Amino acid sequence: MMTHPRVAAIWNWLEERIGISEIVAMGRHKQVPLHKHSVWYYMGGMTLFLFGVQVVTGILLLLYYRPSSSEAFESVQFLMTRVPFGWLIRSIHSWSANLLVFVLFLHMFSAFFLKAFRKPRELTWLTGVGLMALMMGFGFSGYLLPWNTLAFFATQVGTEITGRVPVIGEFALRLLRGGDQVTGGTLTRFYGIHVAILPAITTAILGAHLMFVQKLGMSVPPSVEAEVERTGKPLRSYPFLPSFLLRDAIGWCAAVGVLAGLAALSPWELGVKADPYSSAPAGIRPEWYFGWMFQSLKMLPAHILGFEGEVLGILAIGALGLVWFVVPFLDREPKPGNKVSIAFVVGGWLALVYMAVATAMVYWPERG
Amino acid sequence: MRSWLAVTFLAVAGFAWSAPEAAKPLVKTAAKPAEPPKLDSTCISCHKQLSEAALEPTKHLDDIHFQRGLSCHDCHGGDPTKGGDDDPSAAHDEKKGWKGKPTRLQIPIFCAKCHADAAYMKTFNPAIRVDQLSEYRTSMHGKRNALGDDKTAVCIDCHGVHGIRGIKDPRSKVHPLQVADTCAHCHNDSVLMAKYDLPTNQPTAYKTSVHAKALYDKGDLSAPTCNDCHGSHGAAPPGLQTVAQVCGSCHTREGSLYRETEKKKKGLNLTPAIQCVTCHDNHAVQRPSDEMFGIGPKSVCTNCHTPDVPQYKAAETMGAAVSGLSVRLAEAHTLMDRAERAGMEVSADRFALRTGQDHLVEARVLVHAFDKDRLMGAVKEGLTSAEAGVTAAERAFAELRQRRTGLVVSLVVIAGVIVGLVLKLKEIEGR
Repeated sequence: MMTHPRVAAIWNWLEERIGISEIVAMGRHKQVPLHKHSVWYYMGGMTLFLFGVQVVTGILLLLYYRPSSSEAFESVQFLMTRVPFGWLIRSIHSWSANLLVFVLFLHMFSAFFLKAFRKPRELTWLTGVGLMALMMGFGFSGYLLPWNTLAFFATQVGTEITGRVPVIGEFALRLLRGGDQVTGGTLTRFYGIHVAILPAITTAILGAHLMFVQKLGMSVPPSVEAEVERTGKPLRSYPFLPSFLLRDAIGWCAAVGVLAGLAALSPWELGVKADPYSSAPAGIRPEWYFGWMFQSLKMLPAHILGFEGEVLGILAIGALGLVWFVVPFLDREPKPGNKVSIAFVVGGWLALVYMAVATAMVYWPERG
Repeated sequence: MRSWLAVTFLAVAGFAWSAPEAAKPLVKTAAKPAEPPKLDSTCISCHKQLSEAALEPTKHLDDIHFQRGLSCHDCHGGDPTKGGDDDPSAAHDEKKGWKGKPTRLQIPIFCAKCHADAAYMKTFNPAIRVDQLSEYRTSMHGKRNALGDDKTAVCIDCHGVHGIRGIKDPRSKVHPLQVADTCAHCHNDSVLMAKYDLPTNQPTAYKTSVHAKALYDKGDLSAPTCNDCHGSHGAAPPGLQTVAQVCGSCHTREGSLYRETEKKKKGLNLTPAIQCVTCHDNHAVQRPSDEMFGIGPKSVCTNCHTPDVPQYKAAETMGAAVSGLSVRLAEAHTLMDRAERAGMEVSADRFALRTGQDHLVEARVLVHAFDKDRLMGAVKEGLTSAEAGVTAAERAFAELRQRRTGLVVSLVVIAGVIVGLVLKLKEIEGR
């Protein structure tokens, strides 16, 4: 295979130091189950690829971005208009962030419905849900960085909601804002969170998540396992290297094409520089993946049974998040026919439909 | 009849008089703002029981004077503690300073007793004006009043009699939103105005003006209403020779440019002199447009300049230049809009285009200097900005085309890589 003497020399050099043939052998040995739900296995790789795109484009943006209220907008404007391919890098970073969250949701819900969280993969699930929260944190902190009007006021609304959380709300609000109001100090803080704190935590949790996946292998859905048991036919599989990885690579190439198309045909707009003294423009709304929470709080009445509706809403969302996090410990025997397990599947679909409808309502033109 | 009391209680709130005629306040019982007087004054309690007309003084309870601690006897004199036994003569005791109801001719002096007393008025508001009576005496209203004409406006016609409100109160008859209607009360009265040979169309014409639109439609209280051009207490027509000064008090740049031309015009012996109203009208001032100059159908230049004079040619040149700049700037904006809609970032170039817009505004203003060369200079600079804007937009479109070409090329490369990967996969799995 490696006939070129220079390539062979490099290979040998690496072989002597890190035992590269062992890694390749491990990849060839690792098998990926092949069944009717196998397509969902690609979502993890796609999420990881888009995260890689975020890291690379984010580092390039760092070369020009200046994290202060007086320079942030201008530096992004300069990047988009004067720096060669600056517009492309920024647009890919923004579009990729949205695609990343979308694919991550697909990955997470597919893992939920296919019961991939069941023993012994509880830690894979927990780290996965943690990564979802981190990605949403990346989205929330990154949205403010261009320091445009929409981002400014959306951050104001978003942090205000945080401030409504009982007991810790006020502390969390001041911690996020770096004061009572959204200011240049908040921008600098969000920048630090976006490029240092979240990446550091993500590296650790992502490393653990990948390690668990590697150690435990791909989960086979209970329905497929039952079918194998019933028919007695062994489950087909194919090697991770090269079959699965090449298929992953095809998907990644397609993703690059989609990102290039979105960036060229619909570049991420910059908007108008934030003016903290201006009134909030109409139609302030968060990024789409926060939409269902935003809409839920908006729809709640001011008071429910004597309690503030918004506070109850925040507590309910928090409780749902907690249930979602500990699903592996609640849905303990996810086998076909198990009532608890079926209830979780139904609950998951209801949650998914509700989230889709509530998100659509955020973007639905208001009537009257 | 006690209806005389129903006329002039405290006729003036914002009206503060000052003049040689001004003497002491009628009664010095309210040296400083105090608590509102008790409502059990015999003036109010008796007048409440009288005829409908005699109820007028009871409006005083909603009057700024009452809110500042003044009561009936502070203007009219008398004794408010007497008269409760159905004997009004005890309350209306001339020995206790009873003045009664002033005639219309007396009202300016009646109000000025307090409002022209600087020391007294300062006890209520240290910044309040006290020159209203002397101003009034310079107005047509005041002059005729002094000559014994009781039909001309006095304090109560604009401010009300009892129930006077502070001038910043939107319910006040002299609040900016109410002034035109207050003036129209008399100036729309054709019978009354016929006596003075005055037209009655001014309030109606004003309501169609750009000034009225700003005031009523946009709620801009700084927009001019009647008193801003004619004066408040010293209300008088600006006069043909001084109207430019009046307009120039707000439109300062136009006013100063116009005054620069005064010397030139003196040699021309123009009658009547060209003033703002010649082109813009007086009460029905409309929003100016580029069509007003030049030689088009809506041009005001051609009202005076005929095709056989050189000024006609100058008007044509200036009109065409300003319109040309306006059109070119609009083109630049349209192109930038299109580029922006296509996703291009042109906000910095759009900001630079503002310079061109500033030059357009400058050129429009320079029309008031009647100096072709100056105007053409501003137009030239504006055109430079407009061309820069058009060039920037075209550059954005060129980049947009480049991006799309790059996209097509990269998609072809990506498709090629995908095809290669698929073939490789088939080759591996076919072994």
